[in-house]
Parts: sequence; structure tokens; C-alpha cells
Amino acid sequence: MRPTRVLGFVLVAALLGVWEVAARTGLLDARFVPAPTTIVVAWVAFAASGQLLADLLATLGAWAQGYLIAAALGVVLGVVMGLVPVLRAMLSTTVELLRPMPSVAIIPIAIVLFGLGDPMKRFVVAYAALWPVLINTLYGVRAVDPVLLDTARTFRLGPLRSTLRVVLPAAAPYIATGLRISTSIALVLVITAELVASRNGLGYFVRASEQANRVPEVYAGVLTIAVLGYLLNVLFVAVEARALAWHRGLMRTEAV
Amino acid sequence: MADVLPRQDLTPPAPLPSEGRGEPAEPGAGTPPSFTGKGAGGLGWAFWRPALGVLTLLAILALWEALSRARVLNPQFFPPVSDILGTFVALWQNNVFPGHLATTLWRMAVGYAIAAALGIGLGLVMGRWRAVYDLFEPLVEFLRPMPPVALIPVLILLVGIGDEMKIVVVAFASLFPILLNTVEGVRGVHPTLLDVARTFRYDEAALLRRVIFPAALPQIMAGLRISLAIALIVALVSEMIGATAGLGYFVLQAQRGLRIRDMYAAIVMLALLGFTLNWLFLLVEARVLAWHRASTGQE
Repeated sequence: MRPTRVLGFVLVAALLGVWEVAARTGLLDARFVPAPTTIVVAWVAFAASGQLLADLLATLGAWAQGYLIAAALGVVLGVVMGLVPVLRAMLSTTVELLRPMPSVAIIPIAIVLFGLGDPMKRFVVAYAALWPVLINTLYGVRAVDPVLLDTARTFRLGPLRSTLRVVLPAAAPYIATGLRISTSIALVLVITAELVASRNGLGYFVRASEQANRVPEVYAGVLTIAVLGYLLNVLFVAVEARALAWHRGLMRTEAV
Repeated sequence: MADVLPRQDLTPPAPLPSEGRGEPAEPGAGTPPSFTGKGAGGLGWAFWRPALGVLTLLAILALWEALSRARVLNPQFFPPVSDILGTFVALWQNNVFPGHLATTLWRMAVGYAIAAALGIGLGLVMGRWRAVYDLFEPLVEFLRPMPPVALIPVLILLVGIGDEMKIVVVAFASLFPILLNTVEGVRGVHPTLLDVARTFRYDEAALLRRVIFPAALPQIMAGLRISLAIALIVALVSEMIGATAGLGYFVLQAQRGLRIRDMYAAIVMLALLGFTLNWLFLLVEARVLAWHRASTGQE
């Protein structure tokens, strides 16, 4: 470990220290910027009351369900569009028009269709998380080495088996990129949906605390969301590294 | 502790990531994404391919129109496409859209500009000097994966629901893709370039400005493009949560007031806006990087 790596943690500790002192001495208005220790106390109360777990589960549930829908739909659509030129030609214009639309624009439609509950959140998450998976899968499928497809044909693999056993594994690194991008987008969207219109979840907790002027709770909620985002990111990178280890191994062998 | 953070976490991985929207996983992601690649052969395919896409879109819209008119789709939730387009035109003519559009664009532009200046500046320094990178890495690593919209309630407490809140949250959200891509770009500068610059006795400032920055520019542009999409999304969310003007405010108010046609018209407006911004960015990028393509093409 480089000696300078310690610097970063010193900086974080120093910032927290300055914040604490400034809030305690009144340099920062503690009504709006409570001291870090006050926030931690609020967080412990939030956790101890069981509220944290309930909101966390609500957020994670909508996140996971919407994400899984998007992943399944995106991979299937991406593979089909990648393998069937006519379908690709038919859908390309619609996809190109919808994709640059800021995904949060779907929230009002989702509210009209589903009200304020979990289905609305799931729909919003699924819609937003769909595009990265779809586009990356499509690119991955189109980047498959034709020799692999020819080889599959030589072995008389049918279309279904060659898709499952040749196309999907070959496109896997692209698909993984799409899936990783979508994890963070899905989290942004579920939090947004909860902030804008919802009755449960971490986003709702933060928003409701802000409106009720329970300031330390606002910060405790944001802290929870930040840690959640961090952990999901770490988790996905670890899963990806493990799932694609064979691919890196293959690439290394070929490079030699 | 620091070693727990996987390296590829901070650096954009090889198939270029794009945290905004699902950009193609292509190295040097400046190229406009399109699905049009190799054709399927056969006469007239070059014509039929784009035509087929447009026809399919028109068919979907026609089906929507018909189902809504026939009341198979509830017209309260899915008004006929022609009605939505009529409302869209009316909102432009009544000067409703121009005002909200200008408000949104202004907030977005200021926040984005701050993020660009800060991200490129800090990114150059962090990419050039390891110690500076180490100084900021844990902070960046922790803040980056946080959904930036979560900051909006905090900012409302701190500065109210005015323009400052929106500008700060847009700047915060747009910062990280620009910063990380700049760091990557600086690190990826070919050592030969640095050696040549040293041979010419460039001082550090000249080196950064005249060698490192241009060499890192393609990657910096990739970060700027990702952030453009993010800036728009975050500006809209901030307007949905606390605002009295702007397209995000308008679209949510339309939904709450059950002005469904206004709502759909605003969503069409947002789709057009996203599309146009992306297109404009690609134009600028093509121009800014023209020299780069020319020089790498010759190699």
C-alpha cells in the first residue's frame, strides 16, 4: 500500500472533524446542519425503531423487482434484435427515440397508471433500467465472432441451443456492462419515485423528514441511501468479477 | 480497508461505461450509436431498413390512436396521439413551453458548466499526481455511488427551493462521470508524448495544457456526454420535488391536476429535448475531436 493512500482517509476524518466542531460551536447553523454525531444518534434511533428495516426492504424490493424485469426483458429483446435483422430494423427507430428521453419523464405516466404504490416504483425502475441492458446486449450479440456461429452450425446446434450456448456466453461481458450500469440507474429511479410520490421507502423517509423539519433524520436517511448505493456497487463488481472470470481467463489464453 | 475497493470500481472499465443511459459498450464512445451496421443482404435493404423502423413507429402510434378513439384504451389515461400533438403545439403557441424550457435549460447549463470546470480541473490534477488522487479517492468512492437525487431534500433545507438547490444538485451529479473519465484519460496518455514534451522542455503547466489535456480529450468528452444526460435527469427531478417553474415542475403538476394531455405533451417535449441535446453534443464532439480522428487515422 502506497503511503499516500492514508491521505484520503485522513481527509475524510478531518472533514468530519471540522464539521463536528463547526456545528457544535455554532459556526454552522445546527438547525440545518446538525453535527455528525447528532446524525449518528438519529440514525441509531431510526434503525432501532424498525423503521429503517421496513423502508430499506420497501426500497430494495422495488429496486430488485424492477431490475429483474428490466434484465430479463432487456437480454431477451437484445438477443432477438441482435439475431433477427428484420426485427432490429423495425424497432430501431422507436428505440432510438425513446432512449435519450430522460427516464424520470416516465414517472407521471406511471403514477397515472399505477397510483402511488409499489407497482408504480417497479414500473419506473424497469423502464429506466431496460435501456442499458437492451443496448449493451444488442451490441454484444452483434459483436459475436462469426466463426463461433459458424462453428455452432457445423456442430448442428439448433438456433435455441446456439443462442444459449454460444451467443449468450460470447456476449456476456457486454451484457454484464449493461447490467452494472442499470443497477445504479435503478437505484436512482427508485429513490426518485419515492421522493416524488410514494408512501414508503428510504426516499419517502427522507422527503417526509424534510417536510416535517426533522433535520437529523433527513441526514440519517441520506446517509443510509449513500451506504446502500456504495454496497450495491461493491456487490455488483464482485459478482461480475466472479461470473466473468472464465472470460478473462479465455482472453488471457488467446493473448499469449 | 482501501484494498477492499476493487480497482476497476473507480476506473471506467474497458467496455466504456456510461452511467447515464445505456450507451453502446464501445471503446472511444464518441461515435453516435446506431443499430445500422451490416445489412442482411438482398436488394433494397438499404432503403427498407430505415423505412421499416419509421413505419413500425407510425404503426404503433396509429394503433394507439385507433384504440384510444375506440375506447379500448381508456382515453383518460391514453388520450389519442393526435390530441397530444395538438396540445403540444398549443403549449408552444401559448408560450407555456418556451418559458419552462428556458428555466430548466438555464439551471441545467449552470450546474453542468460548474461540474465540467471542476471535473476537468480536478481530474487533470488527480490523474497527473498520484498523491492528489490518493487524497480524494476515498471521498469520491463513497459519494459517487450515491443516488444524487437523495441530496435534494438536504439542499432544500440548506438553500430552499430556489435555483441554487437545482444548480448544486445538477453540478454534484454531473461531476463524477467527468472527473473519473478525465482521470482515466490523463493516465492513458501515451508515455512517448510526455517524453517528447520533456525533450522540448515544456514546464508542467504547458505540459498539462498542450499535451495531456488534448490527449485526454476523447475520454473527457465521453464523460461530458454521460453527464449531459444525467444533468437533464437531475434537473427535472429537482423541479419535480421543489420548484415553481421548469419542465419537471410542469409535467408533475399536469399529472397532479389530471391534465393528462398536458402531461403527455410535456413528456413528448422532454423526449425531444433529450434527443436534441444528445444530437447537439455529438455535433460539437465531432468538431472538437476532428483533429484527433485525423491524427489517429494517419497512424
